[in-house]
Amino acid sequence: MRKIWNFHGGVHPNENKTQSNQLPILAMPTPKQLVLPLSQHIGKSAKAIVMAGDYVLKGQLIGCAQGFVSANIHAPSSGYVSELGQRTLPHQSALAGACIVIDTDGKDQWIGLTPVSDPASLSKPDLLNLIEAAGIIGMGGAGFPSVVKLQPKSDINTLIINAAECEPYITADDRLMREYADQIIIGIEILQQLIGQPICLIGVEDNKPEAIAALNDAIDQRLDQKTGQKSVQHRNIEVCPIPTKYPSGGEKQLIEILTGQQVPYKGIPADIGIVCHNVGTVKAIFDAIVLGQPLIKRITTVTGKAALNAGNYEVLIGTPVADLLNFAKVDLTQTSRLVMGGPMMGFTIQDTQTPLVKGSNCILAAADLELAPVADHHSCIRCGQCEVACPVDLLPQQLFWFAKAEEFDKAQDHNLSDCIECGACAWVCPSQIPLVQYYRYAKGRVKSINSEAHLAELARQRFETREQRLVDEKLAKEEKRKLRAAAAAASQAAKRTANPTLEDPIAAALARVNKKKQEQLTAAAPKSPEQEYKELKTAAAITRTKLKKTSTALANAKALEHEQTASLQHTVDQLTVKAEAAQAQLKAYEAKLGLDPEKEKTLQITVAKTNAAVRKLEKSLTTAADPQTLEKDIITAKTAHQIATQALAKYQDSATVVPVPVPAPAQES
Amino acid sequence: MQTLYLAVVMLALLAVIFGAILGFAAIRFKVDGDPIVDQIDNLLPQTQCGQCGHPGCRPYAEAIASGEAINRCPPGGETTIKALADLLDVEAIPLDAEHGSEAIRTIAYIREDECIGCTKCIQACPVDAILGAAKQMHTVIIDECTGCDLCVEPCPVDCIDMIPVDVTPISWHWQQPEHLIATSMLPHNHGTPDHA
Ligand code: SF4
Ligand code: SF4
Ligand code: SF4
Ligand code: SF4
Repeated sequence: MRKIWNFHGGVHPNENKTQSNQLPILAMPTPKQLVLPLSQHIGKSAKAIVMAGDYVLKGQLIGCAQGFVSANIHAPSSGYVSELGQRTLPHQSALAGACIVIDTDGKDQWIGLTPVSDPASLSKPDLLNLIEAAGIIGMGGAGFPSVVKLQPKSDINTLIINAAECEPYITADDRLMREYADQIIIGIEILQQLIGQPICLIGVEDNKPEAIAALNDAIDQRLDQKTGQKSVQHRNIEVCPIPTKYPSGGEKQLIEILTGQQVPYKGIPADIGIVCHNVGTVKAIFDAIVLGQPLIKRITTVTGKAALNAGNYEVLIGTPVADLLNFAKVDLTQTSRLVMGGPMMGFTIQDTQTPLVKGSNCILAAADLELAPVADHHSCIRCGQCEVACPVDLLPQQLFWFAKAEEFDKAQDHNLSDCIECGACAWVCPSQIPLVQYYRYAKGRVKSINSEAHLAELARQRFETREQRLVDEKLAKEEKRKLRAAAAAASQAAKRTANPTLEDPIAAALARVNKKKQEQLTAAAPKSPEQEYKELKTAAAITRTKLKKTSTALANAKALEHEQTASLQHTVDQLTVKAEAAQAQLKAYEAKLGLDPEKEKTLQITVAKTNAAVRKLEKSLTTAADPQTLEKDIITAKTAHQIATQALAKYQDSATVVPVPVPAPAQES
Repeated sequence: MQTLYLAVVMLALLAVIFGAILGFAAIRFKVDGDPIVDQIDNLLPQTQCGQCGHPGCRPYAEAIASGEAINRCPPGGETTIKALADLLDVEAIPLDAEHGSEAIRTIAYIREDECIGCTKCIQACPVDAILGAAKQMHTVIIDECTGCDLCVEPCPVDCIDMIPVDVTPISWHWQQPEHLIATSMLPHNHGTPDHA
C-alpha cells in the first residue's frame, strides 16, 4: 500500500451517490436534434466548416480547432445541418453563443473509421495527432484540450488519473470504471507511452469499492493475457483508494494526497514532474485510438429526487437537456432547481433546450428542499470556520470582505486567483453567505479590469504614434513648401535676368489656371448614368445630414436661449430648401432612369411577407388538426409568393442601372 | 595655522569630489519626462474622447499634475476617480456632471453601403481605429475602437452609429450577491466540517 497524505481543510457533504450508481449505463437513443456549441473548451472556439443544408455523417469533422489551445468538434450522428445559429449555452451566464444544429436522420451512419488495435506500434507524434484530431478535452469539467497537457515541457515521473469523483450525487466516473475498466487501463498505457513511461497512480475515493475492484481486476487480467507475469509497465499502474473528503478531486488536492507534494504557487503540476488526467478523458483517448472514434458521446448522470429513473446515460454530445430529462423520466413539475454539474460547483439552468457538451457530467433535478434553499444571508460573524474548511489554505473571510468592498488589489494579494471555487467555505458558513459568488464576482472584475488596462495601453500607444505622425507630416510639409518657394524664387530671378521684358508672373499663372479650367469644362467626359446617379444620391444625403445637424444645433440653441438662434434658424431654412431641391433632383433623375426605390422596397416587402406566410403555414402543418385545408392554403400562399418574386425580378431586370443598394430613404427632421 | 589650511584644503577637496559625484549621477540617472504625469496617464482610460476638455488623455494627465480637478473624465467614471485619488492622496469626489456622465461602453459601426469614402472619420479618429481610403468604403476595427464618439459628427452622410458592446460568455461575469440582512436564519448543514 502506498502512503496517502492529507490536504488542509475539506468537508463531508452527504454523498447521495446510491440514487444513481445502482444500474448499468444506459445508451440514450439519438435525439431529433443535436445542438453543438463551437466553444465547449477552454481556449479559442472552433470554426464551423459546414453550412446549413449540408449532410453530415456520424463522426465527421464539423468544427475545426483554431490555434494551439482549441478543440475539434464532430457530428455525433448523421443528418442534415439545419442551422448555424445562436443557442443558449451550458454556461453560468446562460447567454447564447454560436452553435451548429443538426437534424438527425436516425440512420446513425458512421464516417469511415481507422481503428488501431495495437497502439504501441504508433509513434508519439502519430498518437498526439490522433488525440488532437478526435477533439478530446478534459472530461472532468474544466475542459482544457488534452493534447496540450500531453506535451509537457519538463520530464514527467508520475501520471495521476483523477477518478476521485468527490462531488456529491455524481456517479458517471464510478459507473464508467465499473464497466470499462479494461479500456481505461489500455488508455492509461497509451498515455504512459506518450509521456515517457512514468508510474501511474489512479486516485479513487474509497466510497467506490466496486470501481476499485474492477480496476484492479483489469490490471491483473491485462498481465495474464500477455506473458502471464507482471511486466515493468503493468507494475507501474496502481489503484490508490483515498479517504472520501470533498474536494479530493481538485487537481492540486489529489496531487497532494497521492504524492505529498504541493504544486508551486502560480505553477502547473508539470513543474514537479506530474501530469493529471481525468478518468473520462482516458476512456475518450482509448476510443479515439483503439476504436478510431472521435469524442462524440459521454456518460452523464441524471439524479435528484425529481428523477424517476435516476442513473447514468450514454448521451451524444449536443443532446438537449430536455431530451435526456424526458428519457430519464424527470418530473419537471417536481423540480425546484435544475443544476448542471454537482450541487457544490454546478450552476442552475433555466432553458431545458440547453445542450449537453463534452464536459457535462451531471444533471441534478432537485426536488423542493433537496438542496439548501437560496436564503437571505447574514452578516459574517468572523467564526473562522471557512478558513478551517478551505482546501487551498486561503483566508475566505478576508477575501469576502475585499470582494464586498471592491478592493480587488487586496483580494489579489490574498491569492484570490488560487481559489478553486470549490464551495467548501460557503458550505460551512453559518451565516450562509454565498462566498463563492463573491469570489467569482471579484475574479470577473479583476479579469475585466486587466483586459481594459491592456486595451487602454494599446490605445495610448496608437494615440501617441498618431500624434507623432501628425507632427512629422506637418514639419515635412513645411519643409517642402520652403524648398519649393526657394526654388521658384531662384528660377524667377534667373528668368528675369535673362529676359527682362517678361510679364508679371502671378498674372501669367492665373491665366494659365483659368485656361486649364476652361479646357476641363469643355472637355469633361460625359458622366455615366451610374456615376451621375451616385453623385446625386450623395449630394442629397449630404444636404440631408447637414440639415439634420443644424436642426439639432438649433434645438439646442433654442433650449438654451442662445443668441445664435436667429442665424441658425436662417441656415436651417436655407438648408431645408436645398435638401428638398436635392431630393427633387434625385427623384427626377430616378424617374428619368425609370428607377423607383420605393417601388422596389414595396416589392421586396411583399416578397418577404408572402414568404413568411408560407413558412408559418408550413410550421403549423405539423400540429394542425385539419391538414387538407391547410395544404390548400399553403399552395395559395406559395403562388402569391411566386408572383411577388417574379414581379421583383422583373423590376430589377428593367432597372439595371444601379447595382449598389439604395441608402435608406430620408427621414427629414 | 597649518591645520587650518589643511582643513580648508580638505574641505574644498571633498566639496569638489562630491560635486563631481552628484553631477555624474544627475546625468547618468536622469529621469525622462515627468513621472507623475505618466502615472496619472496610466490610470486614465485612454478613450481619447476629449470630454474632459483636453485634446486627449495625456493632456488631461498633465493638467491634473498641475492642479486640475480629478473628476472630469466620464469614460473612466468612479473607478478612475478613486484610483486617481489614491495615487495623488486627495479625496475622491463625484464625477463632474458638466463633462458628461458615465455611460455604457459603445463602439462605432459604419453602415458600409452608405459610406461615400470621404476619409473625414479617419482624420477624426484619435487612435487610428478606422480603415479605409479615399472613395473606398470605410470600416471600424472593433477591437481598436475606444468608443470616443469623435467620428460620428464629421461624417457628412451620417452613416456612423455608436452601438453598445455586447456581453459575450467570455466577457460576462457574476455580479455581487445582494446585500446581507440579519433576520430569518434557516437551519442547514448536512454533515460535519473536517478539522484535520
Ligand atoms: S471556494 Fe475558494 S476560498 Fe472557498 S474553500 Fe474553496 S478554495 Fe477556499
Ligand atoms: S464561515 Fe462565514 S461567518 Fe464564519 S468567518 Fe467565514 S464568512 Fe464569516
Ligand atoms: S475624458 Fe476622454 S480624453 Fe479626457 S481623460 Fe477621459 S477618456 Fe481621456
Ligand atoms: S472609430 Fe470612432 S468612436 Fe471608435 S475610436 Fe475611432 S473616432 Fe472614436
